[in-house]
Amino acid sequence: MVDSAGSQRALLCEDFAGDDLPPEASETRGSTMRTAGVSAAALATAACGSEGSGGVFGIGGGSTDGTSPLLETDISKAQAARFVLRASLSATENDISTVENHGYEFWLDRQMDAENAQSAKEFYEAKNFNRIDNDELYFRSWPADAMIWSQLFSGGSGVRKRIALALSEFFVVSTNGVENLIWRSQGMGAYWDALNLHAFGNYRELLEAITLMPVMGTFLNTLGNRKADAETGRVPDENFGREVMQLFSIGLYELNLDGTVKRDGEGNPIETYTNEDVTGISNVFTGYDLDFSQTRIHPNPNSSPWEIPECDVAMLPMTADSNKWRYSRGKDYHAPEEKRFLGTVIPPNTDAKASMRLAMNTLWRHPNVAPFFCNQMIQRLVTSNPSPAYVRRVAQVFEADTNGKRGNLRAVFKAILLDEEALSQTSHTDPRFGKLREPMLRYVQWGRTFDLRSQSGMWEIGGTDHPVWSLGQSPLRSPSVFNFFRPGYSATNSQAAANDMVAPEFQLVNETTVAAYVNFMSQVIRGRGWHSRDVQPRYRDELAIAHDSAKLLDRLDLLLTGYQLTGATREAILPALDSLSVTRDSSEEEKLERIHIAVLLVMASYDYLIQR
Amino acid sequence: MFIGKLPEVSRRAFLRRSAQLASLGAASSYALGLAGIGEAAAFSSADGYKALVCVFLLGGNDHNNTLIPYDSTNYAKYRAIRGLASDGSGVGLGRSQLGATVLNPVGGQTLTDDLTYALAPTMPRMKARFDAGKMAPLLNVGPLIAPLTRGQYDSDDTVRYPRPAKLFSHNDQQSTWQSSLPEGAQSGWGGRMADLAQSHNTNAMFTGINASGNAVFLAGENYAPYQVTGSGAVEIWGYDGWLMGSRASGTALKTILGQHDGHVLANDYAQMMARSIEYGGFVNSALDSVSLSTQFEEGNALSEQLNLVARLIAARRALGVKRQVFMVAMGGFDTHDGLPGEHPALLAQLDSALDSFFRATAEIGVADKVTTFTASDFGRTLTSNGDGSDHGWGSHHLILGGAVNGGRFYGTAPHVSIETADQVDQGRLLPSTSVDEYSATLAKWFGVSPSEMPSVSPNIGNFASPDLGFLPSTI
Repeated sequence: MVDSAGSQRALLCEDFAGDDLPPEASETRGSTMRTAGVSAAALATAACGSEGSGGVFGIGGGSTDGTSPLLETDISKAQAARFVLRASLSATENDISTVENHGYEFWLDRQMDAENAQSAKEFYEAKNFNRIDNDELYFRSWPADAMIWSQLFSGGSGVRKRIALALSEFFVVSTNGVENLIWRSQGMGAYWDALNLHAFGNYRELLEAITLMPVMGTFLNTLGNRKADAETGRVPDENFGREVMQLFSIGLYELNLDGTVKRDGEGNPIETYTNEDVTGISNVFTGYDLDFSQTRIHPNPNSSPWEIPECDVAMLPMTADSNKWRYSRGKDYHAPEEKRFLGTVIPPNTDAKASMRLAMNTLWRHPNVAPFFCNQMIQRLVTSNPSPAYVRRVAQVFEADTNGKRGNLRAVFKAILLDEEALSQTSHTDPRFGKLREPMLRYVQWGRTFDLRSQSGMWEIGGTDHPVWSLGQSPLRSPSVFNFFRPGYSATNSQAAANDMVAPEFQLVNETTVAAYVNFMSQVIRGRGWHSRDVQPRYRDELAIAHDSAKLLDRLDLLLTGYQLTGATREAILPALDSLSVTRDSSEEEKLERIHIAVLLVMASYDYLIQR
Repeated sequence: MFIGKLPEVSRRAFLRRSAQLASLGAASSYALGLAGIGEAAAFSSADGYKALVCVFLLGGNDHNNTLIPYDSTNYAKYRAIRGLASDGSGVGLGRSQLGATVLNPVGGQTLTDDLTYALAPTMPRMKARFDAGKMAPLLNVGPLIAPLTRGQYDSDDTVRYPRPAKLFSHNDQQSTWQSSLPEGAQSGWGGRMADLAQSHNTNAMFTGINASGNAVFLAGENYAPYQVTGSGAVEIWGYDGWLMGSRASGTALKTILGQHDGHVLANDYAQMMARSIEYGGFVNSALDSVSLSTQFEEGNALSEQLNLVARLIAARRALGVKRQVFMVAMGGFDTHDGLPGEHPALLAQLDSALDSFFRATAEIGVADKVTTFTASDFGRTLTSNGDGSDHGWGSHHLILGGAVNGGRFYGTAPHVSIETADQVDQGRLLPSTSVDEYSATLAKWFGVSPSEMPSVSPNIGNFASPDLGFLPSTI
């Protein structure tokens, strides 16, 4: 069966004949393509004759010549805030005015160019978390929580980190599931850094980097996975082989480029792989173990006979070269058999590295990747129910950016955020458009908006996944590789289901969590409770206007919701604020009382919770 | 007396379900209209209480190290295939560990190849319940659409020989176990029983209660389950009261949580908030009146959930319920790695939690009114991958309760083999008993009538045993 996606794919495959890494994969962070990526999308879309108005720049007009940044006109403050709040972890007045004055793409490009002020690796070094002493940090998970809160609450790069967090919900590794790895927190840091490094790079490189992460090896059992042994009956572990196809690349069913499911002659979905494909590709992921070639081994500080390596063993990619393992084997454990999967046949005795390259290329080139990945990224960033045309426009950019290159994530994320469907006023007023803000994103947005600071610098917040005492969700702590929620979820008896909509984030919504969220926020907003023992917000700009209830509410409405509060919500909140007597000369304590109430009421409202 | 409202019945779901039943040719109370709900269902014991408790083992329990072949012939086969954990040759348990937990069926029972099973050595309490006739293992049960032989499985004719979609995949097989459909299914068999039973409860809301989170098992076609965690319901501080020291703020919070602008997702969130607010205080006051002396193991997440379930059952009159389905869950069973180290401890927690719960139901006086059963994503391979096992299909499960005809095995024991026709490579079991037969047996005891059974267990018409016999057939 050849469809338009298939033929595009065929063209692209010719470009990369030879199975070497595609050229763009090694120049992913170069600056030359930056402004061109999205324009290419527009051109490609137009060229393919897609339905709809085809532009990723339906709103604001401007140039689509692909060379100069677009100057969108007539962007309102609300539109600007709405855009920033989707693309980033939070919004500042400066972000909003920059978008208003210079356009969406101008601001987005600068954000995408920005490097993170501090990597996870640098955080651990700065905080002396890599030391080998009686604290046994090499056995601890809490530094991973400290690291991710530091990353999310502090430093700039809100856009890069927002995208990295979305990627962490697709290429899932959970701190909960890597307890067998020494230096597990540092390993999670390396994973987070890789997501950030490749966020605007190439999908192909990102997939391989994630595959070889020691935390992934631990989470899905590639680490120490060995070739079959006929004598003992041992066979390669299939965990990663299955999930890399089901979740990280192609999904279960063949998709059209617009994300809809293909049907066979009898109207049934067509499965993308069989169990034989799983068994076949699982042979690729054999023979890997931790790379000890660059580490130094230290005596155990607790006088155990077990020596402790330095933390780089959990951060370097796993290696199939047995000479680099802790105990050099002099032979490898990579499966020598022929490996067959998804139509690819890797000849017998192909080594681990070459097998990996062929497997990664096979997945990367599969026609399902673009719609499968792009649909979920749109869901994370913009709306739970994108139209097929929206998915197709973005998937086309995945298939070929300006330069015809496949898998350019910078171009893909720009296409998602700048699509007409994301930006149009029609969408904004459509009662089906948008998504529920994830609990962890609400908390992070609050902390960044109000300058949350760690007193110790260690960001001792801990996990926030307890459904009763915190958010029921904690960054990098998914309960399983299937993320906190599934892309196709909708609840029984819901309006969403009745309207044939999905609502993935609602998998976290139940009688317990909706109440627990309000309670959690009413604590942390005031700097109270266990999660606030080391972190305090600063409401500096809000203190300056706290005497003016309407002005205060206006500011919160803009920064927290992008002016999504309805008149009814404002009318409910204002009297509560006015019931407190606060003047310019009131004490800081009195002003804070009004601010706390205002922030809580805004963040409890459905106008806030549903991001449109 | 607090009387909650029936959840709004979704017309769409109602119509879909009616159509589904009509196509199956089943007599449906739904065809009679809503007034007929329950009339076709045999929830006849006027004031009797009954509950089903599903214990879901997330990740796919390794059934081969849960029920282990013990007789020397079959143990030798097991050991040859699985190796031995103690000498590093695989993941098998040593035979000398198993002597204390051998299960000798009451009155004798001959299994395939004269198999004798031992329960895992860390499950002595379930061994004792088996001996007392209160626990029964169901052998090689798994999702099937119709009976399937190895030859049919190997044929590519999936139209003539249908099999469940997406076998061996976690999320899909969790969904299939719970709903008979892969991920994306909108209702599970626990929820479909709740659909039928809810009208018999004064407070329909509490017909299905999930103590572990959201799962499709308890979602019905028109019944949406209630979720409660830990020690009881969570209530919002300051709601319609003093919020952050301000009465006006508490009022404002009430107003805000009671209004939305009609957006579909806002409406759904507001609905859940309304349920949370409406029922939270009521549930907690009902739980406050409960005092149970049965001890549950601390630091055991499953025990904590089952403790809550026991307290909810103890509060059944205050809650206004006569028929309930519960779900609890326990994670950690995806033992690709570290099987010998981790699995015995997981089973020890399961053993402790199940036994405490059984004792609690006895304390409450409902031991024979509450049936607890295990379920899981799938079984696992009999072969070892070094220090773990991989995704399989059929598995063994345990049923516990005062009403259970225990002390013997149900279903058909599989050969200990990676070559026989009752497995599909590497000892992945081809189920000989279907989940629909399992669910139908439970549903029948619960009070679902034969004519309603296809709505609960959609494939049951394809199987010979709508009742596997592990529960009494009279109500």
